[in-house]
Amino acid sequence: MSVLALSSDDTLLILKLAFLVLLYGFIVLIVRSATKDLGGAPQESIVLGAPEAAALRAQYAPATARFVVLDGPGLERGSTVEVTASAIVGRGPESGVSIDGDEFASAQHARIEASPDGVWIEDLGSTNGTFVNGARVSAKRVLQPGDVVRVGETELQLQK
Amino acid sequence: MTPRNRELAALFVAAGVAGAALSTVTIEVSHRAAGYGAVFAALYLCAHVVVRRTVPYADGGLLPLAALMTAIGLTTITRLDPQDGGRQALWVVIGVAVFAATLILLRDDYRVLESYRYLFGVAAVVLLLLPSLPAIGERINGARLWVHVGPLQVQPGELAKIFLILFLAGYLREKREVLAQGRLKDFGPLLAIWGAAMLVIVQTNDLGSALLNFGIFLAMLYVATGRALYVAAGAGLFAAGSAFLYEALAHVQERVTIWLHPWTDERVYCALNGKLEYRQDCASYQLVKSLYSIANGGFGGTGIGKGTFTSTDGTQLIPYLRTDFIYSAIAQELGLIGAAALLLLYMVFVVRGMRIALRAEDGFSKLLAAGLTFGFALQTFIIVGGVLRVVPLTGITLPFVSYGGTSIVANFLLLAGLLLVSNRANYPK
Repeated sequence: MSVLALSSDDTLLILKLAFLVLLYGFIVLIVRSATKDLGGAPQESIVLGAPEAAALRAQYAPATARFVVLDGPGLERGSTVEVTASAIVGRGPESGVSIDGDEFASAQHARIEASPDGVWIEDLGSTNGTFVNGARVSAKRVLQPGDVVRVGETELQLQK
Repeated sequence: MTPRNRELAALFVAAGVAGAALSTVTIEVSHRAAGYGAVFAALYLCAHVVVRRTVPYADGGLLPLAALMTAIGLTTITRLDPQDGGRQALWVVIGVAVFAATLILLRDDYRVLESYRYLFGVAAVVLLLLPSLPAIGERINGARLWVHVGPLQVQPGELAKIFLILFLAGYLREKREVLAQGRLKDFGPLLAIWGAAMLVIVQTNDLGSALLNFGIFLAMLYVATGRALYVAAGAGLFAAGSAFLYEALAHVQERVTIWLHPWTDERVYCALNGKLEYRQDCASYQLVKSLYSIANGGFGGTGIGKGTFTSTDGTQLIPYLRTDFIYSAIAQELGLIGAAALLLLYMVFVVRGMRIALRAEDGFSKLLAAGLTFGFALQTFIIVGGVLRVVPLTGITLPFVSYGGTSIVANFLLLAGLLLVSNRANYPK
């Protein structure tokens, strides 16, 4: 037997190591590819498929709240402002309801949320405060149709 | 890379693992192993081509995982008995053929199966009760699991599992809303299923399959309704039923005694030969020898072909080593490091199956994928847990690895189902 020839035991040892290295390599390969195969985020529900979940969401779709402008320097009096889902009222450029001309409003003054359980308003720490029917908003509260919201010098009335 | 190219790459790595294992068997035991390896590689290449043509968007990890599991099973069986290895290789060929046929038949829309749900339900019950018919059923090792069809031994319970999942996926999708409301009258059919599970235990003495099928039912009920209370109530019912059966059936009592007290210091009555024997030499002989086998493997294993499975006079130490106890053979020769890798393969398979269920778009597909995956996971847990003495041991096969034709075919059907659901979920919109 030549010096280079492997003994049977050496061959078996090499095969055993190759087996284990390849086996764990295989597991790593499969686990890593798992993250690549799956584009998109997992869905919120295991019971409902994406179309079914979308149908349910449509059923409970975020309501749209409509306000009429009673007064205010930044908006045309008598015009309508619509809020779908959520919007920030303020002078800032990213505000959903922009009242740029109102000197007494903060950049991010208040947030209006239209949800299936009602229209909610929340003061975002504004300098001059947010008022509903003359009462200052201290915590997030729900609005009834006809309520008048005052932000700075702007007054908005919630429609049905 | 597309899922199919990743699948091909993973199949090559799996072929490398199988090659290393089968080369060892070729050197140590039999030259037949090399031939089985060649057949095996060609076979999965064909399966890959079929998958590429029929379900191009399906998950790319499952087929290589199944390939590697069958390779490990085939290696171990060939090492124990080269002739059985040949039979197992033949069954893997049949399994892959059934897999390919299922993909080709159902490639357009597998959801037509939903309209046959009650047919599947009836078929599942008939298959489960078939072995208890005296004419064709056969009792092996205390449990009636087998049916003789000509020269073939068939284990109908394995196929019943797939049919039951198809039935439950269709039925629960239809009744999901009313079940979630929790009115008592809607639970009639579900109580009937519980009754059937208990009946199967009494009729066939097959605890493993009753536990498996009832577990699948509870998991799918939870997936469909999202109510943990139902699972708790169902588990309670099963526990109460099992407690009653424990009192009533000696077979069940013996299984629990073997599980809790496999060793005795004194000789106790042995039902097998009617004498007084230590329990480790009688009722729990099989389990105890299997535990010794696992312990003998240690961390690194003895190496394939070097394990001890026969006593010095050549008799086999562990009965049913190729089927129920194949895990302890693998754990001895591959050691903790290899057995842990095998369990990791199962875990990755289950994780991918559940991801498929999450991504599926309709209720039937979700329930089907979740049920198939959970059944696969629970079956693995029941048999590995039984061999490791975590739960009472019940004879059931280790998916894709154990020796047994029906089991291989049923698991390839399961794999085809998961790939079909996955293909539909990933289909580009």
